[in-house]
Amino acid sequence: MKLGIVKESKDPRVAIVPDTLSKLTALGVSVIMESGAGDESYFSDKDYAGATVLSREEVLKQSDLLVSFNPLAQEDWKHLNKEAIMISQFAPFADAEVVPGLLGAKKKAFSMDMIPRTTLAQSMDVLSSMASIAGYQAVLVAAARLPRYLPMLITAAGSIKPSKVLILGAGVAGLQAIATAKRLGAIVEVFDTRKAVKEEVQSLGGKFIEVEGARDDSSAGGYAVEQTEEFLARQRAEVQARAVKSDIVITTAQVRGRKAPILLEKETVNQMRAGSVIIDLASSTGGNCELSKDDETIIVNGVTIIGNSQLAAQMPQDASFLYSNNVLNFLKTMIKEGNLKVDFSNEIIKGACITPELFA
Amino acid sequence: MENFYAFFLDNLLIIYLLSFTVILGFEIIAKVPTVLHTPLMSGSNAISGVVVIGAIILVRLTDPADYLTLSLGVAGIILGMINTAGGFVVTDRMLEMFKKKRNNTMLLTFIIETFFLLGSIGFIWGLRLLSSPDTARKGNIYAGVGMTLAIIAALIMPFEGDVPNNYTWVIIALLIGSVIGYYAAIKVAMTSMPQMVSIFNGLGGACAVVLGLADVIHYYDGTKVVDLLGFLTVLLTLLIGGVAFTGSIFAYAKLEDLVDDKKVTLPKHSIINMIMLVGLILLGAYILIQGESIGMKAAIIFLIISLIYGISFVAPIGGADMPVVISLLNSFSGLSGAAAGILFDSQFMVVGGILVGASGTILTVMMCNAMNRSIWNVLIGGFGGSSGAGSAAVGGNIKEISLNDAAIQLYYSQSVIIVPGYGLAVAQAQKICKEIDDQLSANGVEVKYAIHPVAGRMPGHMNVLLAEADVPYPKLLDLDEANSSLSSADVAIIIGANDVVNPAAENDPGSPIYGMPVLKVWNAKSVIVMKRSMRSGYAGIENPLFFHERTKMLFGDAKDVLGKLNTEIKSL
Repeated sequence: MKLGIVKESKDPRVAIVPDTLSKLTALGVSVIMESGAGDESYFSDKDYAGATVLSREEVLKQSDLLVSFNPLAQEDWKHLNKEAIMISQFAPFADAEVVPGLLGAKKKAFSMDMIPRTTLAQSMDVLSSMASIAGYQAVLVAAARLPRYLPMLITAAGSIKPSKVLILGAGVAGLQAIATAKRLGAIVEVFDTRKAVKEEVQSLGGKFIEVEGARDDSSAGGYAVEQTEEFLARQRAEVQARAVKSDIVITTAQVRGRKAPILLEKETVNQMRAGSVIIDLASSTGGNCELSKDDETIIVNGVTIIGNSQLAAQMPQDASFLYSNNVLNFLKTMIKEGNLKVDFSNEIIKGACITPELFA
Repeated sequence: MENFYAFFLDNLLIIYLLSFTVILGFEIIAKVPTVLHTPLMSGSNAISGVVVIGAIILVRLTDPADYLTLSLGVAGIILGMINTAGGFVVTDRMLEMFKKKRNNTMLLTFIIETFFLLGSIGFIWGLRLLSSPDTARKGNIYAGVGMTLAIIAALIMPFEGDVPNNYTWVIIALLIGSVIGYYAAIKVAMTSMPQMVSIFNGLGGACAVVLGLADVIHYYDGTKVVDLLGFLTVLLTLLIGGVAFTGSIFAYAKLEDLVDDKKVTLPKHSIINMIMLVGLILLGAYILIQGESIGMKAAIIFLIISLIYGISFVAPIGGADMPVVISLLNSFSGLSGAAAGILFDSQFMVVGGILVGASGTILTVMMCNAMNRSIWNVLIGGFGGSSGAGSAAVGGNIKEISLNDAAIQLYYSQSVIIVPGYGLAVAQAQKICKEIDDQLSANGVEVKYAIHPVAGRMPGHMNVLLAEADVPYPKLLDLDEANSSLSSADVAIIIGANDVVNPAAENDPGSPIYGMPVLKVWNAKSVIVMKRSMRSGYAGIENPLFFHERTKMLFGDAKDVLGKLNTEIKSL
């Protein structure tokens, strides 16, 4: 069974790292790769001992499994052989054209971000892997941009007050951001519509801000749900009051399949202290900050606003390592001794497959 | 009735002695931690070897031409010495874990009586010290010294008129008994210690039986004056000693798997036992009433039925409950020693015997409580025999552990593995956990942390928690490292973790978490689970670990419980 990886376009990450090669060999899978695929993650071709380096076209032609971080461009599909299976993060919820396109071109595909988020599948959860990095990086990037200290210091030259970090959304990214900000000594306040996360926030030493009247989300499988207008109004008021006093605001609030909710309005940003930093991790689905622009850093009234939904790309080595492990653990459910067995009674395989019709 | 009043008033002193000793026996055992139950049982078993004093006296008083009595006496000394010498040595071995690491004739009688008095004090004080881990080893030694002093006293105490003494026989018997007892105790494997205690105890009971037999022979051949209450004492010695003897040997057989529970249990066995007991009482009464006229045969029959009753008593009780039975039989052998003491007019034997009888009884009850069952349930309930404490069914009984017991277990272990979970994070108890870690490490315990990849509610949750408490990286073990260390760990303590230590993931294909790698904490010698309540974890399922035979639960908020545990450890 041949697994192929190619250089990602516009992303420094690589789908399989050298560390995973021997484990794939143990499964009966050999790896073929495009030269330079891992360069931007600081893995040279030499590091991939055991893998065969070929041209991009050859890799695409010979692969039984084509694993990539971002979906392979449509132009490349024609080089794939008929039975080849693509494994990547297709985000079918974000773009309704993805699945029909694959079915139309008769291209089999599994999407790593569609794996059900059950206890057993935690080792395959790419969303958590990347979100964790994003949360950590968000704090580091913000702290580096902030013209002030994060922790408190009482010194001979004067006393420095600790910075306030406001985190909106306490999912995986938010929780890791809380932990990182606490490690750096900041005061951390957290807001989330889901009441259940209050305990989780407190378990990391963060202060949970409560707003009454949230719509119950206990059946949403851990995700947030859309809230009523009236609740949103009160939420905005509370968040505004806190944000204007914060030095760093990190927003992570996304609702699956819909536009991200606006949590920071223009007026709020204008009242923030000059030098403060806003990191908007939801910028690719509209952004939680009214003013943020996806993939851009702008300064409004002295406040730096960074919109970036791919912060994990700033840590390509570990991001690739984690993604590679996620893929390996997923492949283990389907591959034994080099043979692929797609068993749709396994809910993980069933959930990940976005073109089940092609497996009939 | 007149006779009874006279007896009471004549023996007032001994009755006071008896009463006080019973109360004393109960009191000094009152606060024994569970981990000391077995050593205490063993130590008090050694003390019940006090019957050897009676045997020494018997041999010293016997006409050297009376070979029957002489051989009975010598046998008695050997049996008694094996019991007591072996008993003290095996107790000392059990207590190894508590070693500290970074630590002119009026005159003669006076001396003799002082030795006996010191001997009694040695017993009492020794038993008291055996109840606490710090002083347990000392306690065993004190009791041993007490016994030695008493044996010396018994050797040199003067009697009225000339007595044969037969010192050669006495010394040889003492030596044989000591050597056998010592070597048996040294050679036995740690895991077979309860069986050894049982045999020693049985031999002590045999010694009492021998003393009783000697008296029976003398009563019936006219060399001794028959006195009703004295003879009653003899019968009691035969009964209780006999039951202790055969019962203990049978208990040994059960523990060594030489006997199949089901094959020796008769239908309605407890009724049969009841009938036998009633029969014995009636026979005893008959013998007493008839006096010398019925001859020795009746007494011998009485003895034989007692011996059979001993086996029958133990037969239906499950192998897993044997320790409780041994403890009970130990108190029986103590009582038989006290009865023999009355026969030989030795306050010392009475004190030693009653002490063991009373403390042994209360220890038996405590052992039952530690298993969450009543003593009747253990002795009579359940004809299946080995149900109860041994099996581990989901939804079965959970066992709780007290803070004191947990503190002792942790403090005296070689290696402890802490499994932190979400509960530790919620309680924000990481700093107290580290404090406990430091205290244990200062006492030479190796403390490590097993970090499961999905413990907590975010990746690396436990890492960030423990980093805050300044737990150094080398102490953290990942899943594979932890699983190999767990099989040699003394204690695995789970703090607020649930699914990551659920054995269903390994052995229940129907479980939603089947196939998820977990921390195999049940491979450790003992498991302590700390959680807020019996509620399920993130996966929302039951955890059979809580009902496992090696597991004890400690309920409460982690910060609260750990704080109290910390205090307990400080006070050790």
